[in-house]
Amino acid sequence: MRYGIAIDSARCMACYNCFMACKDEHCGYSSKYSVAEPHMGQFWMNIVEWERGDRPGNIKVATVPTPCSHCQDPACMKAAKNGAVYKRPDGIVIIDPVKAKGQKEIADSCPIGAIYWNEEEQVAQKCTMCAELLEEGYKVPRCVEACPNQALIFGDLDDPNSEVSKKIAAGKVTQLKGLEGQETNVVHLNIPGIFLAGTVYLPEDEVAIGAKVTLKCESCGKVFETVTNWAGDWEVDNLPKDKKFDITIEMKGYRSVKLSAVTDKDHFVEETILCPIL
Amino acid sequence: MAEKITHSICVGGPIRIHTEDGVIRRVRPLVFDETDPKPWKIEARGRTFSPPKNTTVSLVALQEKDRVYSYDRLKYPMIREDFVETPDGKNRNTENRGKSGYRRATWDEALDLIARETKRIQKTYGKESVTAITSSHHSWGLLGYKLSCFKRFFNMLGYTRIMDNPDSWEGFHWGAPHTYGYWWRLGGPEPFDLLEDALKNVETMIMWSHDPDTTRGGYAANESAIWRHWLKELGVQFIYIDPFNNFSSVKNGDKWIGPRMGTDAALAEAIAYVWLTEGTYDKEYIEKHAHRFDEWADHILGKGVDRTPKTPKWAEEITGVKAADIKAIARRWASTKTMGGSGMRGGFGGVCRTANGTEFARIMVQLFAMQGMGKPGQNMWTGTTGAPMDYNFWFGGYSDPKSSIASAPVADYTPVNEVQQVLYRTNLPEAILEGHYEWYGEGFCGGSLEQQFTEHVYPLPGCNRVHMFYRYGGSFFGTMLDTNKWAKMYKSPELEFVVNQDIHFNPEGRFADVILPACTNLERYDIGEFCNSGNSGYQSHSQTGNNWQVVVFQDKAIEPLWESRSDYWIFSQLAERLGFGEKFTEGRDELAWCKRFWEFSDLSKRISWEDFMKKGYYVAGVPENWERHYGFRWFAEGYPCDTPNHKPCQEEGKLGTLTGKFEFVSESLLKYAPDDEVRTPIASYKHSWEGHKSLLAHRFPYALISPHPRFDYHTHHQQHNKWLWEIPENRKVVNGNPYQVIRINPIVAEKKGISEGDIIRVYNDRGSILGIARITNRVKPETIHCYASSGIYNPVVYGEISADKGGCTNLLTPSQLMGRKVPGMVPNTTLVEVEKFEVPAEYGQGFEKILEGVK
Repeated sequence: MRYGIAIDSARCMACYNCFMACKDEHCGYSSKYSVAEPHMGQFWMNIVEWERGDRPGNIKVATVPTPCSHCQDPACMKAAKNGAVYKRPDGIVIIDPVKAKGQKEIADSCPIGAIYWNEEEQVAQKCTMCAELLEEGYKVPRCVEACPNQALIFGDLDDPNSEVSKKIAAGKVTQLKGLEGQETNVVHLNIPGIFLAGTVYLPEDEVAIGAKVTLKCESCGKVFETVTNWAGDWEVDNLPKDKKFDITIEMKGYRSVKLSAVTDKDHFVEETILCPIL
Repeated sequence: MAEKITHSICVGGPIRIHTEDGVIRRVRPLVFDETDPKPWKIEARGRTFSPPKNTTVSLVALQEKDRVYSYDRLKYPMIREDFVETPDGKNRNTENRGKSGYRRATWDEALDLIARETKRIQKTYGKESVTAITSSHHSWGLLGYKLSCFKRFFNMLGYTRIMDNPDSWEGFHWGAPHTYGYWWRLGGPEPFDLLEDALKNVETMIMWSHDPDTTRGGYAANESAIWRHWLKELGVQFIYIDPFNNFSSVKNGDKWIGPRMGTDAALAEAIAYVWLTEGTYDKEYIEKHAHRFDEWADHILGKGVDRTPKTPKWAEEITGVKAADIKAIARRWASTKTMGGSGMRGGFGGVCRTANGTEFARIMVQLFAMQGMGKPGQNMWTGTTGAPMDYNFWFGGYSDPKSSIASAPVADYTPVNEVQQVLYRTNLPEAILEGHYEWYGEGFCGGSLEQQFTEHVYPLPGCNRVHMFYRYGGSFFGTMLDTNKWAKMYKSPELEFVVNQDIHFNPEGRFADVILPACTNLERYDIGEFCNSGNSGYQSHSQTGNNWQVVVFQDKAIEPLWESRSDYWIFSQLAERLGFGEKFTEGRDELAWCKRFWEFSDLSKRISWEDFMKKGYYVAGVPENWERHYGFRWFAEGYPCDTPNHKPCQEEGKLGTLTGKFEFVSESLLKYAPDDEVRTPIASYKHSWEGHKSLLAHRFPYALISPHPRFDYHTHHQQHNKWLWEIPENRKVVNGNPYQVIRINPIVAEKKGISEGDIIRVYNDRGSILGIARITNRVKPETIHCYASSGIYNPVVYGEISADKGGCTNLLTPSQLMGRKVPGMVPNTTLVEVEKFEVPAEYGQGFEKILEGVK
């Protein structure tokens, strides 16, 4: 039995229900697994958002609900003295609110910043995966219960037939920056990578439908192909990061266009107007 | 530890409340048990779609506990410290309203004072000299709601009623009925069973001025979010048209089109141009169902009086949207099965709250008509309503006359207001300050088309002006336009006496002479249905925005905190002091009234009162083969109308227009308002009086878009719940003040020397607000975005008209209405300028004053 949460960024709409439910549960209330969360300033369920795209032609927002990852081999456990951080048999990582007194290094050790330092109580604290409620018979943690869109799925990671295991098996797992190569009990799915996009037009105020767009990365040898849609838009998502791409746009009867872009971040490359071959 | 579980509903959905030893511990979504009915199933495109067996909530529901114990709760009755009860109502230091502190009073002292003043003012000036109004939805439940106990009290007293305006969907209300009827739905379309239709048939969704993940079907929590994901999974293309690349669009959109604010009607006309010139509309349908289509087509094609073809190129110049993009959308729309519309239920949206809103709404309807509205997969439907429902189970919503203690059958006695004089909410300040106001229409014109043209004048001949104002629940500071006028109104000696009955120390309450502390829904009894606004009035069957039809016994979780009391108790006490106590209560306490709603509804046929109270909720369920009544299908296919809430004309296959057809030239406008320059017989784009072509644009070059808020509900949460301040897309706390996020384009930021996170001032001649700069390509360079309904109003000079740190966007919006004959408000017709702003140290926080008020 190993408790875990699958968090699907494709399903998340940043409604902040999980954030609110977490605050409702933990602010002002202590348990044997944590001192009370202060009313403001800590985000045990932190919604990380960033805007993707650099021009109005294609803007998206990535939303990644980010609680403690409940690592299998947690950095905070190593940073703690006196066994102040421990892993329960069910995989939940707990900071002992008594033993951890005065150990600020626990808060500082987390690679994703999911541990908070309570100045007043002089103790580090974080998401308990609602262990105290699960013991009382709650079926899922508060954040999962509050999610209206099945973006958060809770269950037993050791059971391949559990809903959470099936969700993970079917999804695209992305590891958070700082936790690469780590096994975690909170598993992130479908965190967007980098896109390149554009819109292709024809002269005479028309969009170019069905233009072939080829993206070639010489350094990594990868080639991606797509065609422009009904709106003349093309987009290739989840490209390898920090690579230079040579882009060719081709359409019968029109001169080919060559562009280039670097995948340092999401780019709307260009509004391209094709010229007819005369 | 004694744990108790009770239930309630709020604008964020049904909730389950855990109380431990008399203290609310947590608030959770409703969880169904095995005895509750099975979910409905829709078979479509080889898949079975079925909702999860629970109801959802929105973020505001999950902070109900915090709202109960909020730092700014009103704890005791209070009287303004410099209020003097002069015998003639003069010299009461009214100019200090909004600024003065308060002293604690006893309930007897406060209620006796209100009773004395009510009697004095009505004796001196007549019954009509008292006026009163409520906010919308600061609480939920058929007993406590504004159309129930408030209405019962004031109808018994006799008062000048203040008409509400359809503030969230003005253009559809005042415009769309002249094209397709549906005045009884206040301009909105029929949603019935269109979810199933969409899942089976639709290929393209037009989300025009629509952010469903933000407006959430009104008060349908997040029930419909999953439907839109299903549609995405089926490959449906979502086109978002909105000057702000909104929150749903950036997560789920396939194409974003950002027209210049208020120019959408031109974009819509150009789409029609493409269809007319390419012959890609449903000619047979139009032949059969359209009235004076050819004249309208002439107008679009440039053969009308203005000799201007409404080409995509013409629209590009006005809207800033490329002609090529307009053609692409027009062709996608015409060549695929397309549903869509505007705003949270299809007939809403920010665009219809512009000076051109009626025209936009009418052309929207015309576009859907041109593609055979009502045929499978072709309809006005925006993915937020139309779930399967058992139409044979009736429990009233808040606008149903049968679901109010103000009238029979729930009440034995139906009081009738004996005062004929009325006021109009949008321009109440003008009426009070200038002593005169004239307007057309009945506010909500659900009774007939003609209601839009009735004439009103204040004061009514033979009547006196109002001198006492009783304000109940929530704050208009933040939702009503040109808010500084409201502040000026409150400071006027014309209002000799002002009462405010509310739960929190809201911005507007700080202008009252007497403040009465009401308790929250969680401290009293009530009964209500999830997202039911009424099955006969308003836009009926709004609960089809839910996956489940749920009636909740809104049990008392805790006793009223401090000295707060239920609204019913407060009105009962006043009624007693005014001599009609027994008549008001009919000898019933709150629980006895709740039982009456059970008794006079279908609920009593399904569950006993005792079981209902014990369980806390009832799920109506949908029969396996429920009766389908696809919205508008009857019209497209020519069978007698079978949709719920229909009118006799529909049974003859007619719409509710004068001709019974889609009127492309409006006969009702020709008949009742032929001189209307705003709402012309042929709907058309017109430059607005405060648009990019107006003279004002030289001084204030940016258009402000201020939609309904994502992180609040009206003004009901933002000031009370500090967790909301920690949401980066909402606010940022700087030096103790939670500044609201204002979105500007990078080009504007560079021009003005503004960096991300700077404090900026947005202003025009009406006022100025301070906020935090968010630099983003989600708005075009000509647009600035800042949510309306700030909930916090915190002028830098406390109690004086000055720049606002709370982000009360409506200080900037105009109180001018759509037109002389179109009494709709237009918050999205607002021009502003923006600058970087260094906040002087002496501006302080203002919140200490709020805390002082509730100490």
